[in-house]
Amino acid sequence: MVDLQLLIDGFGTVLSGYNIIALVLGSFFGIIIGAIPGLTATMGIALLVPFTFGMNPFTGIVMLLGIYTGAIYGGGIASILIKTPGTPAAAATVFDGYPLAQKGMAGKAIGMATIASGIGGTFTALCLTFFAPILARFALRFSAPEYFALAVFGLSVTVTLTGKSPLKGIISGCLGLLIAMVGLDPMGGFPRFTFGTVQLSGGFSFVPMLIGLFALSEGFRQVEVILTAPKVSAVLTNIVPRLHEIKECTRTFVRSSIIGLIVGVTPAIGAETACFIGYSEAKRTSKHPELFGTGILEGVAAPQCAENASTGGDVLPMLTLGLPGDAATAVLMGALTIHNLQPGPLLFQDHPDLVHQIFAGMITANIVFVILGFMFARIFAKVINIDRRFLVPLIFIACMVGSYAIGNDIFDMITCVFFGFIGYVMIRYDYPVSPMVLAQILGVMMESNFRRSMAMSQDNLLILVTRPIALTILILAAFTTVTGIRRMRKSAEMEERIAAEAAAARERAKI
Amino acid sequence: MSNLTMKKADIIAVAIVIPICLYVFYESTKWPVPALLGRPFVVPRGVAALLVVAALILLYRALKGRAFLLESPLVGVDFWRVIGVAVLTFGYLPIVEPLGFTTTTFLYMLLFAWVLGERRWPRLILFAILVPLVVFALFSTALHVPLPRGGLENVLRAHGFAAIFR
Repeated sequence: MVDLQLLIDGFGTVLSGYNIIALVLGSFFGIIIGAIPGLTATMGIALLVPFTFGMNPFTGIVMLLGIYTGAIYGGGIASILIKTPGTPAAAATVFDGYPLAQKGMAGKAIGMATIASGIGGTFTALCLTFFAPILARFALRFSAPEYFALAVFGLSVTVTLTGKSPLKGIISGCLGLLIAMVGLDPMGGFPRFTFGTVQLSGGFSFVPMLIGLFALSEGFRQVEVILTAPKVSAVLTNIVPRLHEIKECTRTFVRSSIIGLIVGVTPAIGAETACFIGYSEAKRTSKHPELFGTGILEGVAAPQCAENASTGGDVLPMLTLGLPGDAATAVLMGALTIHNLQPGPLLFQDHPDLVHQIFAGMITANIVFVILGFMFARIFAKVINIDRRFLVPLIFIACMVGSYAIGNDIFDMITCVFFGFIGYVMIRYDYPVSPMVLAQILGVMMESNFRRSMAMSQDNLLILVTRPIALTILILAAFTTVTGIRRMRKSAEMEERIAAEAAAARERAKI
Repeated sequence: MSNLTMKKADIIAVAIVIPICLYVFYESTKWPVPALLGRPFVVPRGVAALLVVAALILLYRALKGRAFLLESPLVGVDFWRVIGVAVLTFGYLPIVEPLGFTTTTFLYMLLFAWVLGERRWPRLILFAILVPLVVFALFSTALHVPLPRGGLENVLRAHGFAAIFR
C-alpha cells in the first residue's frame, strides 16, 4: 500500500526549491510543445532529456513529468483554435472544440479543456499512487520466465496495436529487437553486430536514438509542409467555465477518467486512442447525441479528460514492471535509466522515497498545468503562430546538441541524425516508430530473461509454460495479439465514422 | 499513383530487410556457445526468421497490388526541401569538430532557414548569429557541456568572452 508519510514528504520535496521551478518550467514548455501542431509530447520529452543530466535526478524527472502532462493537455488548444490537433492525442477535441471557436466560444472551450484535462490527469495520478505499490509488490514474485513472458506480452501488444498495419508494426518491432542486440552479448560478453567498431561495442546510445526517432524525424516531417503557420483569429474571452457547465459534465469526467486509465494501462496504446474512445462513449451515452459535432462543451470535456487520464495509466506499468505504456513513457523510462534508476519492482524496494516523490510530482504536475492553462491561455494561443522557418532549425540543433551532450561524443550526434532520418522515412511510409523503440527496451528484457530461464532449466523450454504466472501472461499475449489486430481494424473504422458524423453534424448545424 | 509509390516502397523495404536477416543468420554462426548461459543465437535467429516471414508477406501483398494505400500527405510535400535539409544535416556532422560549434552552426542555421524559404537577410543573419552563441553559452556555462571548439571560439575567448567560451 501507499505510504502516506512518504507521500506527504514527497509533496514537500516537489514543492521545495528548484523542484517546483523545474516542474512549472517543464509544464509551461510542455504546453507550448503541445500547442504547436506537429510537435508531440514524446518529442518534447526527448528534446528536454539532455537538459536534465546536470540536474538532481528527481528535479530532472519532475521536469519531464511536467512536460509530459502539459504537452498532452496543450494539444487541445490548437484543436480548438485552428482545427488542427496540436498532438495526435487531441485529435478528437477538434470535433466540438473548433465549432465552439466558430461560435465565438473559443475561450470557454479552452477553459473546459483545461478543467477536464486537470480532472482526468489528477484522477489517474491518484490511481497510480494507490495501485502502483500493490502491483510492484506482486511483481516481486516474478523471476526470469515471468519477465520473459511479460516482455513477449508487451511486444505482442506493441506491434499489433500501433500504426495502421500490424504487418508493418511487426517489421518495425523486429528491427528494433535486432538494433537492441547490437553490442556485447548480455550473458557471454562477446561482441555482436558491431562490425569491429569500438563505438558500437556498447550498442547504440539509447537517448540519442530516441531523440532521433521521435524528435528529429518529426522535424523532417515539419520540413515537408513548412512555409505558412496557421493564423489564430479567435479572441479568447470568458475562459473560466461556469459552475453549472462543469456540473453538467460530471458524468463525462467520471466516464472518461476511467476509460483513459484503462487505455493507458494497456501497453502500447495511450492518449491517442483514449481521446477517441472517451468521445465516442460520451456521445453514445448522451441524451442528445445529435448535438455532438456541433460545438458543445461535453464534446471537448470527454476527449480531453480521457487523454490526460491515460497519462497515469501509461506510467503505471513503466514504473512497476519496467514495461512502457507508450512511446512517451518509453522516453521517460530512458530518462530514468540515465539517472541510474531502473524502473521495476525493485525501484519500489530500493527507493521508496523517490517513488513517492514521483507520485507527488505526477499529482502536482496535473494541478500546475491547470493553473498555467488559465493564466497564460492567450500566450499559448499565440504560440501557434510561431514561424516554422525559425522553429524547425532550432529543433534540429537542439536534437543534435542534446545528443552530443550525453557523452560529449560526436558519434551520439551521428546516431541521432541517422535514426532521425530512418524515423522520418518510416513515418513517411506508414511504418510506426513506437514499436521499434519499445522493442529495444523490451528486447533486452526478453533476451536476457530468456537466456536466464534457459540457464535455470538447463535448456528446457518447458520452464516458460510450467510456471502459472508466466503461462498466464503468455496466453494473454497470444489472446491480445489476435484481438488486437481485430480491434485495430474496428478502431480505424470508428475514427473514420466519428469524423464523418461530426462533419455531417456541422453541415446540419449550418443549414 | 500513391498506391504505386507504396508498392515501390514496400519492395525496397523488403530488399533492405532480407539481407539484414541473412546477415543475422551468418554472423550468429560465428558466436561462441558458452556453457550454462543459454544459446546466444536462439533469440536473434528467431527474430530474423519472423522478420523474413513478415517481409515476404509484405512483398507478396505489394506484388499482388494489395500494398497499403498511402494517405494523401504527399500532396503539397516538397521533397527537394527535405533532401536539402538532409544534405545540410548530414554535412554538418563531419565539419562540426574541425570548424568548431559556433562557426558550423552559424552556417547551418543560415542555410537551413534559407532552404525553408526565409529570404529576409537581416532576420536570417541575426538568427544565424544568435542561435549558436546562445546555445554555446547555455551548454558551456549552465549545463557544463564543452561543445566542439574551433578557431572562432578561441578568438572570442581571447578577446574578453572567456566567461562564455571556457
